[in-house]
Amino acid sequence: MNTLPQQLANGLLLGSMYGLIAIGYTMVYGIVQLINFAHGEIFMTGAFGALTVYLYILPDGTNMLVAVPLMLIGGAIVAVLIAVGAERFAYRPLRGAPRLAPLITAIGLSLALQEVVRNFYPGADRARAFPGLDATHDIGSVTIKDADIFLILAAIVCMSGLAWFVRKSRTGRAMQATAQDPDTAQLMGIDTNRIIVVAFAIGGFFAAVAAVAYGLKYGNVDYRMGFLMGLKAFTAAVLGGIGNIYGAMLGGIVLGIAETLASAYIDEIPGMQQLGGQSWANVWAFCLLILVLLFRPQGLLGERVADRA
Amino acid sequence: MTETTTTPPADRAPAPAARGLVPLPPATALPLLLAGGIATAASTFLAWTWTAEFPGDLTVSGYPGGLQWLTFTAGLLTALFALSAYRVRGLRWLTPAGNHAPLLLVAVGGFGTTWYTVLAITIKLGGLANLEPGGFIAAVASLVPLVGALALPAEHRGEDLATALGKRIAKPDRIPAAEATTPWVQRAAITAVAVVGLIVFTYGIDTEYGELFIGYLIVVVFTIWALHTAGLLDRFSQLLAGNRSFALAMGFLAAIAFPFTQTDDHYANIGVNILIFGTVALGLNIVVGLAGLLDLGYVAFLGVGAYTAALVSGSEFSKFSGVQFPFWAAALSGAAASLIFGVLIGAPTLRLRGDYLAIVTLGFGEIFRIAVNNMDGDSGPDITNGPNGIPSIPDLSFLGFNFGEAHDVGGFTLGRFANYYLLMVLIMALVVLVYTRAADSRIGRSWIAIREDETAATAMGINGFRVKLVAFALGASLAGLAGTVSAHVTYSVVPNPYQFAGSTPPNSAFLLAAVVLGGMGTVAGPLLGAALLYLLPEKLVFLQDKSLLAFGVALILLMRFRPEGIIANRRRQLEFHETGQLDVPDTTTLTDEPAVTKAGT
Repeated sequence: MNTLPQQLANGLLLGSMYGLIAIGYTMVYGIVQLINFAHGEIFMTGAFGALTVYLYILPDGTNMLVAVPLMLIGGAIVAVLIAVGAERFAYRPLRGAPRLAPLITAIGLSLALQEVVRNFYPGADRARAFPGLDATHDIGSVTIKDADIFLILAAIVCMSGLAWFVRKSRTGRAMQATAQDPDTAQLMGIDTNRIIVVAFAIGGFFAAVAAVAYGLKYGNVDYRMGFLMGLKAFTAAVLGGIGNIYGAMLGGIVLGIAETLASAYIDEIPGMQQLGGQSWANVWAFCLLILVLLFRPQGLLGERVADRA
Repeated sequence: MTETTTTPPADRAPAPAARGLVPLPPATALPLLLAGGIATAASTFLAWTWTAEFPGDLTVSGYPGGLQWLTFTAGLLTALFALSAYRVRGLRWLTPAGNHAPLLLVAVGGFGTTWYTVLAITIKLGGLANLEPGGFIAAVASLVPLVGALALPAEHRGEDLATALGKRIAKPDRIPAAEATTPWVQRAAITAVAVVGLIVFTYGIDTEYGELFIGYLIVVVFTIWALHTAGLLDRFSQLLAGNRSFALAMGFLAAIAFPFTQTDDHYANIGVNILIFGTVALGLNIVVGLAGLLDLGYVAFLGVGAYTAALVSGSEFSKFSGVQFPFWAAALSGAAASLIFGVLIGAPTLRLRGDYLAIVTLGFGEIFRIAVNNMDGDSGPDITNGPNGIPSIPDLSFLGFNFGEAHDVGGFTLGRFANYYLLMVLIMALVVLVYTRAADSRIGRSWIAIREDETAATAMGINGFRVKLVAFALGASLAGLAGTVSAHVTYSVVPNPYQFAGSTPPNSAFLLAAVVLGGMGTVAGPLLGAALLYLLPEKLVFLQDKSLLAFGVALILLMRFRPEGIIANRRRQLEFHETGQLDVPDTTTLTDEPAVTKAGT
């Protein structure tokens, strides 16, 4: 049986999740040239925010059609608050400091968020069960779950919403202006601090959407989930061209498909029999990052040269 | 927990006149300090509690024990500083500026450790009833110098309580220059400091229970702070600058002397681990502190070195079990393997902006762990034996000297870990040499130039990519070298320790925290940071679970309030003085400056 369509679908789904998280990296980077290393952890707190709504606020046995939107709201509130708080209290005071300072702050923030969840969220020192949407549907030779439908719909809605927002709304156009030239934008009367906060907030919201999709798809969340997902979402952002929101989504999908195909088929290549399977998927994703940086550092859709001082 | 709080607005208090913070006649202040200090020291000769259940046996009258020694030291120091404030001949050098800040700080140190002990007894044994009269006497006696110090007349007019307190513990702007002394006196002073330093450090490593370590930390922190505000640390660093080679030799001797003071090989083990950790942190400091490249997967290079050494060690579980390299060859191949990986990772990424390097190294660190985990012949090629790692690595043997056996040297028995400790001292000396020579050379200045402003440095003709690659590769090979020894010390290599963040060192987050906390760009900073970060979780078991949380918060707060770390690089600090960049001079804080948005890049 041909497994290729199924693998492509899996890659597309995984890639949409990377893309949603990558939006947070790419928007913040586009405006303040800061890699928010803690973004993976914001994704993780979004998952725990949604889990809190499910476990402690909703009555048992709530219909998932009602529960999922409420969990999304809960996760989004937590993730957006943490993203905006991080900007306000950790990054903003360091604007103008050398690059190393915010990077180290971001590492600290990332460790602190992980440890706060591990130490203080009940039962979070190991994986916690998340309600799954496991009913399956067959479309031709491809089997997908309800959670996958949620993911695809959420990704499409969020991306179109974001595209509209950035192009048409006043704030969105102010964002474009700030990304192009923050000083001139400020002279034109744009409150750049507010724009930066909005960028962090949108990133947090998208991360929360991805987090709920992750929980529904895999059925559990843990305090370390943000680390690798964040790393790969960053890879996706670089792959697509950092600073470009469409690039982030495209990069995510390319990365997801590449990773899925590599783990499924690479062992059929002579000499690489033992390098297939899920355990090596991360290695291939990482190798892709190195290759992209080597041959096309500006990314698939990026225009600017990457080595701006 | 991400908030970084600024100083809270202090309550407005009426401006104190020339009086102290405690309304006592200023004339009583110094006598209170002196008498209190002596009384505190004397109280340790009494029994503080009735049962030996509290560790350290504080039940004996007649001589101090356990935590009482710390109180005794603090009381004695208080009395000495008080005598120095009286301008007693022979002790004036203790407070060259004649300021009162050191008095307050040593008094707080004595008060802190005594009250900590008394409270710990009360809580641990369940009630005040467990205190003998001696405990109460000590508590009262240690309060007296504190009251005395606060009653000292104010040297500055304080506007409100917080600034008044802040000024009381501030270092004076000008320290009178030391009198000219003969070289022999200077060398004697350095020797004395090295001996005291060795004793203090050894005491810290040998603390047997958490309470003792906390009391030790209280005394040491406040004493060093007091010496700093007295201006003695500045004087000492001038002394060091004048006798550099002698000071280095003394430091080296003190480091070598450490295992001879140990009767238990367990503490030598802690010493080895601190040295390995410190060496790796120093290597990372070349990359982060000098060249300004954020390497988040540094521990993977340590892992590469360790695995290489394990593979060629002759261990029967190694893939190449027939191969047994002599140590020099194993060390070289470990360093070379790390070098290769460093170049492989560095070459594509160092052409780009620094941010990419951070994320690529983070990825590399994770990939290394995944890869060695998988290379067990089952889910990958059979090289590293997967999660089981490579156990039973034989001990090193060098010119007939077997590191695994105890040796008698001049009446002292050096155990297995003491042997490795001495080997690591040599390696650390090598790394310090490489570090200082590189930092002062043409390439070191290129690194600093690149760190400060890459565009300007490139315009001045520096090949940015090449010098960055040299820094990165040098850092990687030093880590690999340390890794080869660490593989032999721990008998086995397993994938787990080589990750980004974990609760025990070494891991990349710990290393970065050690460098940043200690002071980027200095030699002593990362070593101090490594020793602190290793000892804290080791001694305070209850902290182990929360140590990563504390590191995360500490990194955020450090970057916000003291980005130059505990030991600031003085030259850099001056350089930064004009630009107000990464290192912030002591006198100003970032909050005083208007928030500047970085001009369009």
